[in-house]
Amino acid sequence: MRTPLFHEHEKLHAKIVDFHGWEMPVWYAGIIEEHMATRTGAGLFDAGHMGEIYVQGRQSVPFLERILTRNIKSMPGGKVYYSFFLNDSGGIIDDLTIYCLEPGERYMLCVNASNTERDLTWIISRNREGAAIEDRSPSIALLALQGPDASRILKSSLTFDTGTLKNYTFAMVETSRYGELMISKTGYTGAGGVEIFLDTEAAPLLWNELIGRGAIPCGLGARDTLRLEMGYPLHGSDIDESHTPLEAGLNFAVDMQKTSFIGRDALDEQLKSGLERRLAGLVLKDKGIPRQGCACVKDGREVGAVTSGSISPVLGTGIALAYLDSSVKDNDEVEIVVRSKPLKATVVHPPFVKGAIPK
Amino acid sequence: MNIPDELYYTENHEWGKVEDGLMRVGITDYAQSELGDIVFVDLARKGTSVSKGDSLGTVESVKAVSEVYSPVDGEIVEVNEALENSPELVNHDCYEGAWMVVLKMDDPSQASKLMDSQSYEDYLKAEA
Repeated sequence: MRTPLFHEHEKLHAKIVDFHGWEMPVWYAGIIEEHMATRTGAGLFDAGHMGEIYVQGRQSVPFLERILTRNIKSMPGGKVYYSFFLNDSGGIIDDLTIYCLEPGERYMLCVNASNTERDLTWIISRNREGAAIEDRSPSIALLALQGPDASRILKSSLTFDTGTLKNYTFAMVETSRYGELMISKTGYTGAGGVEIFLDTEAAPLLWNELIGRGAIPCGLGARDTLRLEMGYPLHGSDIDESHTPLEAGLNFAVDMQKTSFIGRDALDEQLKSGLERRLAGLVLKDKGIPRQGCACVKDGREVGAVTSGSISPVLGTGIALAYLDSSVKDNDEVEIVVRSKPLKATVVHPPFVKGAIPK
Repeated sequence: MNIPDELYYTENHEWGKVEDGLMRVGITDYAQSELGDIVFVDLARKGTSVSKGDSLGTVESVKAVSEVYSPVDGEIVEVNEALENSPELVNHDCYEGAWMVVLKMDDPSQASKLMDSQSYEDYLKAEA
């Protein structure tokens, strides 16, 4: 599958890789250059492979209340929440953002590309309330303009002032050149900026406009190192059906005041009995790069494994996320076994760096 | 893709430069461009004896780890220590500044069994 920007990526000589069936750019100039451009200036990402599922009608609220971990009843229009679909054991089927287009009537769920089909099947199978469900992914493009320079670029290209938008809110903006834009103050880099949903046909025009104003095209490689430096989990690596949001430290996105939602009983149980493991950050003291699957050892005992690891372009050292035994605390030292070599690391609470580094 | 004429090449994208019984070894332009930003190079120690196909070390990019294999049998007599602090040299200067090790070849005739630049170019085309 290809996003509407595939030919733009080719023109920019991107290195293209297969990402869960999508032909996506992994880098253009290089991951580190793109990473730093986003932290200090503005990076532009094609996130058109993500899925957009609309849930509509009067039954939408009771339905969403039951399948999501956030309180949808009280969600105001123009607001964005990070949330989850959980299985009955509290495991994370997917993480997503929900956009309230019209309170009580219209919601958009933005889900992971790799999970869109499975999510859709799951949502439909759980829809006993009879809400209207529609997959609009094929007609919606998504550009992420991220970094401390994003607001300047957006103001000069669209005369849109992001200063009026709070984090985790969005605005519908009518334009003559690109049609209706949904501009959301969200992102997966921690560098600030926006995500813009728009019609697929208008996407190449806006993409080139933003690059013309100084945004640096960035691939999935930089997207991954940027999110890892912030400690944002990636579904399929750091969170999945065998881990709960509580173990992942994502309690903020679970409303335990809500009477009931799928997976809730399992989370209650887990809170009562205590967590056996938790997702922690690791910063390497030795040279080397931790990779997914590397074992973590403390005092000769295996205490966990790396779920995501890379180099931090900002710190210049290896960093990782790992599920560690609850007995391991922040600031403890562990060893990460990288290709049978034990490397010293310190347990930390992410983020690993500041998200934006203004010039 | 830069493929200098005077070098020998392997199917695993190492290059070898023969200098009186010695072979200087590095990775090719193709290899570095496939790996992307190189952030870590970990080489075997000086004095290590290796057989053809043994690991001479690892090269890591942001996304991947890649082994560097010895093109011939021999002993490592020199290691490029500059790569420890400047791994990015592999991206910028893979055939000169970013050589990895120098091998004292056990059998200098092994070199001629490697690919020359033309064969390597054909090999890359066939791979693509």
